[in-house]
Amino acid sequence: MPAISVRNLRKTFQMKRKAAGLRGSLRALWRPSYQSIEAVRGLSFEMEDGELLGFIGPNGAGKSTTIKILTGILHPSGGEATVLGHVPWQQRQDLAFQIGSVFGQRPQLWYHLPAVDTFYLFGKIYEIDDSSLQRRISFLAEAFEIEELLETPVRKLSLGQRMRCEVAASLLHRPRVLLLDEPSIGLDVVAKQRLRMTIQRMNELEGVGVLLTSHDAGDIETLCRRVIIVNHGEIVYRDKVSSLKRRYLTVKTVDVRYNEQLAPDFSLPGVEMVKVGRYGAKMRFDTRVTPVEPVISGLAAAGSLADVTVSEPSLEDVISAIYARTEA
Amino acid sequence: MRSREAGALAVEGRVREHSAAAVAGKYWAVFRTQLLNSLAYPIDLLGRSLLIVLFMWIFMNLWRVTYGATGESSIAGLTLADTMWYLMMAEAVMLSKHDLSETFSEQVKDGSVAYLLNKPFNFILYHFAAGLGDSLLAFAGNLLIGSAVVWLMVGPPPGIAGWIFAGAAVVLSWLLDFCFSALIGLSAFVVEETNAFRWIYQKFLLLLGGVLIPLDFFPTWLQTISLNLPFAWIIYGPARLFVEPSLTRLGHVFLQQCIWLAVVGGIVWVIYRRAVARLVINGG
Ligand SMILES: Nc1ncnc2c1ncn2[C@@H]1O[C@H](COP(=O)(O)OP(=O)(O)OP(=O)(O)O)[C@@H](O)[C@H]1O
Ligand SMILES: [Mg+2]
Repeated sequence: MPAISVRNLRKTFQMKRKAAGLRGSLRALWRPSYQSIEAVRGLSFEMEDGELLGFIGPNGAGKSTTIKILTGILHPSGGEATVLGHVPWQQRQDLAFQIGSVFGQRPQLWYHLPAVDTFYLFGKIYEIDDSSLQRRISFLAEAFEIEELLETPVRKLSLGQRMRCEVAASLLHRPRVLLLDEPSIGLDVVAKQRLRMTIQRMNELEGVGVLLTSHDAGDIETLCRRVIIVNHGEIVYRDKVSSLKRRYLTVKTVDVRYNEQLAPDFSLPGVEMVKVGRYGAKMRFDTRVTPVEPVISGLAAAGSLADVTVSEPSLEDVISAIYARTEA
Repeated sequence: MRSREAGALAVEGRVREHSAAAVAGKYWAVFRTQLLNSLAYPIDLLGRSLLIVLFMWIFMNLWRVTYGATGESSIAGLTLADTMWYLMMAEAVMLSKHDLSETFSEQVKDGSVAYLLNKPFNFILYHFAAGLGDSLLAFAGNLLIGSAVVWLMVGPPPGIAGWIFAGAAVVLSWLLDFCFSALIGLSAFVVEETNAFRWIYQKFLLLLGGVLIPLDFFPTWLQTISLNLPFAWIIYGPARLFVEPSLTRLGHVFLQQCIWLAVVGGIVWVIYRRAVARLVINGG
């Protein structure tokens, strides 16, 4: 049985529309007009037990909405979903014992209190007995390297430190599935890397399945084996991260410099010249259309080479290309 | 359905039976955490309690003149000292009740309600436990400072029975007030602006609840109306009990509070169930 299974999930928000000013307000009171926003339109996917699944998409794609439905705090407008065999919005409380969630934009730790106070509170809320809780806290404190931070009021922690505490708090009750909505938001490169490592380690140690949304392709690249890309509430791509790269990283960009002046009409068949200067050029080609070999020999034949750089697009570029394609 | 299925999927080694003790323990922990949180800012806490000094000073001047003008030592069975101690208790309750309706509507509007719904507790009870944690400290502060001031003005407070009876009734007052706040707060699921309701409720408490004047001073018809509305049992009930702590009165106050709790609490429960069923979380 998959840990998460979603079939044709839909969510339409009805938003009250109101014209500006007092008159608009009065009219809206009298006869409200609604605007529907289709945040999620027929999503279907599955996540295996213990899997790390990435969920990415631009702003407003419907990622958070999907996560909220899966935690049971939002009712879908249609479709089905089960998480660990529960229908989230019907068995929210039972499910809550078995899943953990972190919303990067909504801290759950009590702001003015040390994190450990929230840990104890959560321990009670999840009905964990005192000695198990104590052991669990020490274990997580070590795994997340937050031993020194637990006694400090949360408001005095850095964002990265706080986020590690947040994720640790969500794991207190040993959930089978962790739903992380933009856990890396606002973190610098080092803090991100550290957070990724701890998530990965907890996945290895306890087999907790993680569904992770992010704007950062790096999160997905380092953490997840499989990725789902959504745009406008629909899945536009789903596959292994490795095949995503293989399929889309076929466009190479080449920078060349020569020891002598280039012919002004320098060009190669099947290669798009981005820029041609006097001593060098920048060009792009797709290896599926133009093989590498003739391009390289063409470059060598054009003169005495000083330097060649071949680069691939970043995952970031690939994803924007996929978004762009789906906008059309 | 619930425990069997959940049990089958539960992590090994942890039996989840939802014992009454565990459930009570949750809300106790929420209450405790809120207490700690309020204690994080002792100066704020003190500041909140200073307001009662101002109130008592105004009341003292007002009622000294009134009693002086009538030439009587007691009005409707209350001496000046009784009236002042009544008002001290009324103000202590009024100033310590935690306005949850605002928290509620804020949380509904900005969507943070969601982040409490993803935990295994009841949202309403959670807020009540947290609100109680907050109220208790404020109440203690108000009582301490209020009593000191009133003692200086009119002499010693009512006997120990008054403190105990009123204390017990105040807990039910908070519950009842909480139900009203919840009702106002939950209306945020339906209407955008809840301030109007909050304003109306506040005014009912002030005028018909006995915050500004003991209801005994009202003309009979207005007294009858007030005593048949729930507002009196939030403020007047415990405050009057404080200065006249008889068992009969205690029984009467409790009875009224329980009736209204059942009525208003029932409405809150029904609305909450329906609101959650069609919950729409905002943003993010
Ligand atoms: N409560 C709501 N009422 C009306 N519309 C909403 C509500 N919540 C979300 N939406 C809309 O639904 C769409 C999807 O929002 P959602 O928060 O799921 O996006 P997201 O993928 O998480 O975006 P981001 O990356 O910015 O967090 C957006 O167009 C948003 O405006
Ligand atoms: Mg989001």
